[in-house]
Amino acid sequence: MEKKIKDKLKIGIYELTGCAGDALLILDCEKELVDIFKAADIQSFLMAKSDNIDGELDVAFVEGSVSTEREKKELLDIRKRAKTVVAIGICACFGGIQAAFLDKKDWEKNFKKVYGDNKMTHTKPLQSKPIDAYIKVDYYLPGCPIDKEQFLSTFNRILRGNPPELYRFPVCVECKWNENDCLLNKDILCLGPVTRAGCGSICINHNLPCVGCWGPVENANLTSEFQLLREKGFDSDFIKKKMANFSGTGIADFLGELKGEKR
Amino acid sequence: MRIIKLKKDNLSPFLEIISVEADLWAPVQKGDKHVFKVVDDFSKVELNTTRTILPPRKIFLPPTFSMFNISEKGYKEDLSHIKKRILFGIHPCDIHGLLILDNLFKQAYLDPYYLEARKNTLILGLSCWPDEYCFAKSTNTHIIEEGFDLFFTDLKDFFLVWIGSSQGDDLIRLKPELFDENLTDKDIQTYINWHTERDKAYKWSINFTVLPDLIELKYMDPLWEKLGNSCLACGSCTNVCPTCNCYNIMDKQFLGGKDGKMIRHWDACTLEEYSEVAGGENFRKKRSDRLKLWYTHKLQAYISKYGKPSCVGCGRCIATCPVDINVRTVGKALLGEEEDAFWVRLNMEVTK
Amino acid sequence: MNGENKHLTHDNPFLPEPARIVRTYYLTEDVKFFQVRIVDMEKAHSFNYRPGQFAMISVVGAGEAPFSISSTPSRPGLLEFCIRKAGAVTNALFRMKENDLIGFRGPYGNGVPVEKMKDKDIIIVVGGLGAAPLRSVLLYSLDNRDQFRRISLLHGAKKPAEMIFREEFFALKQREDLECHLVVDEDDTGTWTENIGVVTTLFSLLKEIDPVNTYALVCGPPIMYKFVIKELVKLNIPKDQILMTLERRMKCGVGKCGHCAIDYIYTCLDGPVFTYWDVIHMRELI
Repeated sequence: MEKKIKDKLKIGIYELTGCAGDALLILDCEKELVDIFKAADIQSFLMAKSDNIDGELDVAFVEGSVSTEREKKELLDIRKRAKTVVAIGICACFGGIQAAFLDKKDWEKNFKKVYGDNKMTHTKPLQSKPIDAYIKVDYYLPGCPIDKEQFLSTFNRILRGNPPELYRFPVCVECKWNENDCLLNKDILCLGPVTRAGCGSICINHNLPCVGCWGPVENANLTSEFQLLREKGFDSDFIKKKMANFSGTGIADFLGELKGEKR
Repeated sequence: MRIIKLKKDNLSPFLEIISVEADLWAPVQKGDKHVFKVVDDFSKVELNTTRTILPPRKIFLPPTFSMFNISEKGYKEDLSHIKKRILFGIHPCDIHGLLILDNLFKQAYLDPYYLEARKNTLILGLSCWPDEYCFAKSTNTHIIEEGFDLFFTDLKDFFLVWIGSSQGDDLIRLKPELFDENLTDKDIQTYINWHTERDKAYKWSINFTVLPDLIELKYMDPLWEKLGNSCLACGSCTNVCPTCNCYNIMDKQFLGGKDGKMIRHWDACTLEEYSEVAGGENFRKKRSDRLKLWYTHKLQAYISKYGKPSCVGCGRCIATCPVDINVRTVGKALLGEEEDAFWVRLNMEVTK
Repeated sequence: MNGENKHLTHDNPFLPEPARIVRTYYLTEDVKFFQVRIVDMEKAHSFNYRPGQFAMISVVGAGEAPFSISSTPSRPGLLEFCIRKAGAVTNALFRMKENDLIGFRGPYGNGVPVEKMKDKDIIIVVGGLGAAPLRSVLLYSLDNRDQFRRISLLHGAKKPAEMIFREEFFALKQREDLECHLVVDEDDTGTWTENIGVVTTLFSLLKEIDPVNTYALVCGPPIMYKFVIKELVKLNIPKDQILMTLERRMKCGVGKCGHCAIDYIYTCLDGPVFTYWDVIHMRELI
């Protein structure tokens, strides 16, 4: 039975800095799209419709990182309007690729390299950060892009008032379920053990190593992973770059810890 | 137990005949490893494998499957993943693994998912030759006397076939002319020689009888902290272990109606979330505590309940753990032997 | 335990049985009381259990979790639970109303050995939500008052407002066949007439006890056990007569999922009630 519109949860789907891949993925849920729109009152979804309203929300799904003053304002406004905020995608969760330069100086140097002395008139650029740098986030749904199954399950659970139920273990678990041969044992730089599962170990299924695009798993043993890769002959800076590539702020603490040490 | 003979060339025709009414699962090549898979091209069946990446328990309890279909009317048992199956090429150690799981899934309450799958699967065992990781002789699981319908010992030119059950005998009867009831003295001598040579081929061994006491005596040993420091908590050791049984449950709901599924998926005690209760309290927050649980369970607790370790010497943890935490290194470390393992080299300061 | 253990539902021990919420109300700010009846009348009436056992309760879409049964088998028909809001399942339960359906299966676990406690003294020590399982034993022993000798209840809570079953336990103070001592860590209301301090301070109020013929039951937050057990040992109560009920993560309740394992013990089969003697021999228990 279709609910009356006033009984439906009001939902907004927003995109900040990123490739819009997560919003695109939601749009790509072709079979379920009608159900999504039936089940909830989608108030704002720029990629899907033009009549968007900025009103009170039950749930806001936010994709992308914050990289301009304008986005920061928009995000603060979303938080004010929404009872629940869900960060979707690696950029919203950990800053994503655009947050790979964690050091403010590095960021400034690179910014200058790209934009030179050009004046920014439209809005003020900010060092790219995940949305929880500015607002409280209720739930995180990582991925690059997010996984369709996990999005639907999360969407559905939130709709029914239940917290999302996501895998809280590393990629290795799903990788083993798919009966792949461990790439680390073949001396390939694979970030599976420190990366959150949910992707179905899709890269390793195709014989490609995990690049960590879902961000670090809770309490990842980065130290051991780092040392293991060092022992396998990988260059220290190379490993750090690989680790920071997607995980951004997610591994900032670890990189900070490493700084004091000479390896 | 009746023992008959099968010419090597007759194996493929035999497998073809028996697989008419059931899925035939057998080891096949995947990359440079092997996996159990449903086969229809019998030339792809690998006879000279050591271990498959995942143990055969995946055939009985898949990594994820639906326990119940949920609708407005309530829960309805879902046994749809269970089919008639024949499992060919399972080695003695892995059959022992199933026997250990039997104990657990029959304990106190019967697990219908496991037992139904067991009932519907015929076990056709196959002898094997140890590689550098195997230690089934130490766990006394290199030989098997029960738990199979047929057992094939590969003697190069022919197989000796043990008939372990009446269902196994029924398979033979499908095409008895493929088999030879008459064993010659030479055949028997060939078997004796194979047996002696095979037993000599184990490249390492460990004394399991002393390990329960050592785990007790070394419960507070800094060894565990060292292991915890290097453990990636990736769950691989548990996922590849033929005797691990832990699982978790997830409720999956579909959009639209009230329909959903209750999903059961493999879990591992080495994972962070394993011992966390609602509200966030975690009884085994530390990796070292979780490893201690795994090794205590395998090498001590199961022994005190069933008189043998919950380890069958298959060597999968040795072949799989990227940081060398496995029954061999941990066992040897408990025995006070020097090991060249990653966690020894990591040699980090032990944090208390 | 061998072979087929009797359970409520049919031969699938994981299959939840529909049950209806008969009554539900708040006990404290984050603890709610649920009275539940199994929908199938026959099963509802034949359902039997022991004090201290637990059940698995499920809410479609939210999941399943273990809860101690707070009611007593001496009052059959209705089952009672007191549940603290902590995770997905409890959050969903809190949103449910009277007449809503839940999934129910059980009873599980060993429960309290009440027959061993016959003609013995009983001391029940409760901290906070620990009242959930021990209320079952308390009510059971009061309903079968002539089977037991002295019964004492030592009850601690953080604040008056956090005391679950407040009215019920205050009413017990009127009974002459029960020694009932209540305490709060701090009184922020200024109206608390009972003791103030931690639960262990109540031991000094106990009249002289006969340790060899006493069973003590303890349940509360993890931190409480150490101190309470110290007191009980001081009183010379034998270690195997000090019983405690413990909490662990459980996904099946029937010894399969592994989450509640401690050494070779499954909390769901061999517990959740353990003796202090068990605890000494299993390092991880408390």
